[in-house]
Amino acid sequence: MKYISFDNFKRLLDVLKDEYSVYVPVKSGEKRFFKRYQDFTEDIVIAEARTVEPAKAFFSRAREVVAEGFKDDVPYAPQKPFAIVGVKACDLKGFKVQDFVFKDHDYQDPFYMKAREENLIISADCSCAIDTCFCLALGLEPHPTEDFDLNLSQIKGGFLVDVGSQRGEALIEKQGSLFEDEREGQSIQREEQRQRVAKAVEDNIKMSAVPRQDRYKGVVEKKFESKIWEDEAKTCVECGACNTICPTCHCFLLYDQKDEQRMARLRIWDSCMIKDFARVAGGANPRGNLWMRLRNRFEKKFDYFPKVADIYACTGCGRCISACPAKIDIRKVLKKLVNDA
Amino acid sequence: MHKHKNPYRSIEAEVLEVIPETPSIKTIRFSPKEEISFVTGQFVEITIPGVGEAPFTPSSRPAVKEMMEVTVMKVGKVTDKIHELKKGDIIGVRGPFGKGYPLDEFKGKEILVVGGGCGFAPLRSLMYSLFDRSDEFKKLFFRGGCRTPKELVYRDETGQWGKRKDLNIKLTVDKGDDKWKGNVGVVTTILNDVKMDYKEGIAVVCGPPIMMKFATKKLLEMGFREENLYLSMEKNMSCGIGKCGHCRIGTYYACKDGPVFKYSQIKGFSNIWD
Repeated sequence: MKYISFDNFKRLLDVLKDEYSVYVPVKSGEKRFFKRYQDFTEDIVIAEARTVEPAKAFFSRAREVVAEGFKDDVPYAPQKPFAIVGVKACDLKGFKVQDFVFKDHDYQDPFYMKAREENLIISADCSCAIDTCFCLALGLEPHPTEDFDLNLSQIKGGFLVDVGSQRGEALIEKQGSLFEDEREGQSIQREEQRQRVAKAVEDNIKMSAVPRQDRYKGVVEKKFESKIWEDEAKTCVECGACNTICPTCHCFLLYDQKDEQRMARLRIWDSCMIKDFARVAGGANPRGNLWMRLRNRFEKKFDYFPKVADIYACTGCGRCISACPAKIDIRKVLKKLVNDA
Repeated sequence: MHKHKNPYRSIEAEVLEVIPETPSIKTIRFSPKEEISFVTGQFVEITIPGVGEAPFTPSSRPAVKEMMEVTVMKVGKVTDKIHELKKGDIIGVRGPFGKGYPLDEFKGKEILVVGGGCGFAPLRSLMYSLFDRSDEFKKLFFRGGCRTPKELVYRDETGQWGKRKDLNIKLTVDKGDDKWKGNVGVVTTILNDVKMDYKEGIAVVCGPPIMMKFATKKLLEMGFREENLYLSMEKNMSCGIGKCGHCRIGTYYACKDGPVFKYSQIKGFSNIWD
């Protein structure tokens, strides 16, 4: 394993700027956000815990032009690829779901494909947990084990570096002078930190009594007619934040610009919680009631995806819990689904 | 570089003719500037520049390559604009998407086609496809219904179909008028005189959800097998390639796995008729 000192890591970020548009997590108050890297500032936090916004935003943009007029080329945005630094394990699991939808399954999406081919992911171990973190309930550890180019584990003086792809390997070779071989005792430091963070997540799970994923099988189907959905949807204000903030949610709206002279088709993140999501032109709506849409959101995550892709479309990141103005808590819903008679 | 095709881009098409069918339904004939081959039952997304797109199953004969037709009921933003189209106007077409009717699986069988209202549109394309290879099927039945004689689409054509030897056709209206000499009643009331082996036969249903629901119930009672019952599901198809999420039915997307489904595929899912 390789080691990079903090000073050399800053140099690495500067080098990456030539080829990439580099984004790093910065801390503002108690929260972390991705910010375009210019110079190394005090607010940059590579480790700690997940950002507010999901890293999927670098791969399918919240709003992007997908077709212009009748031209048959793909209107890729004229920009450098992204290097996203400090991505956490929960976001990486999100890409498993996004990949299934946009890349590996039936038809391929050219915009997502290009972003996946070109963007660089330098992930990082979590060095703390926030109170909504419950990744371990989804069988996911709070440190990346796969699906990254490089992974950083913060230790005293710098980071231990894992290589996860050929591109990561090539980067280390090219910037060889910035990296050193791992020193004695560094792995132990990393292991201690990983255990400490895992325990913090475990404590979260115990405190909220969150059921583990081995108990999710078939629960949505079994509780399909349950009162749970109506009860839980009572406070929902239909804002769609739970969808847009989710690393696994992928739905979008195709929107044609209202300009006959310049035909442009936009793709905009959409939310299945919004009333018209499944409505057809004639007016029929298979999910006319809000609670049906809440149920549908859980069905998609905990019934559809395990059936078609053998994966629960939840990463335990807790973003939907933090984002919900109505305090609807996915952990509580899962608990009811698993435990209620 | 990237040689991916752009699945979100529409092909330019010119409107050749606009044919009024009923007070609320028009057929638009257009010629795409690039050839679009489709299998009957597949759908396309039609774009009105500056307004938006909406999904339609072509009502024309797939074997005719130079032009395509969609039959459109005026129900919303895009369809209002479609009804304003004139010869020479430019529209966009994207597709075809989904799976059509598996005609090869119908070989050697008796086929009953049941349509309601604007559901005649995809079925017109299906009927021409069946007529084109009519010697491969044992016998064809068509049963169609709509609310009033005024709302009956393709009236001249269905009149012509009445003269065909390979087809047994009967139409009905919910409420007749002075000139109507045919059956009066919902479409399920004219299914009983279809003389065929229900257990081995194929049934295809397309129409408004309520009609599909009751026709399906009736056909199952008559003895049709769930896996021989083909339904065209109207959902909010948008991207056409199973990505945007709007048209999910259980473990399927209507846009890529349908819009034609066997009843046996979807019967277990919730709210299929809504």
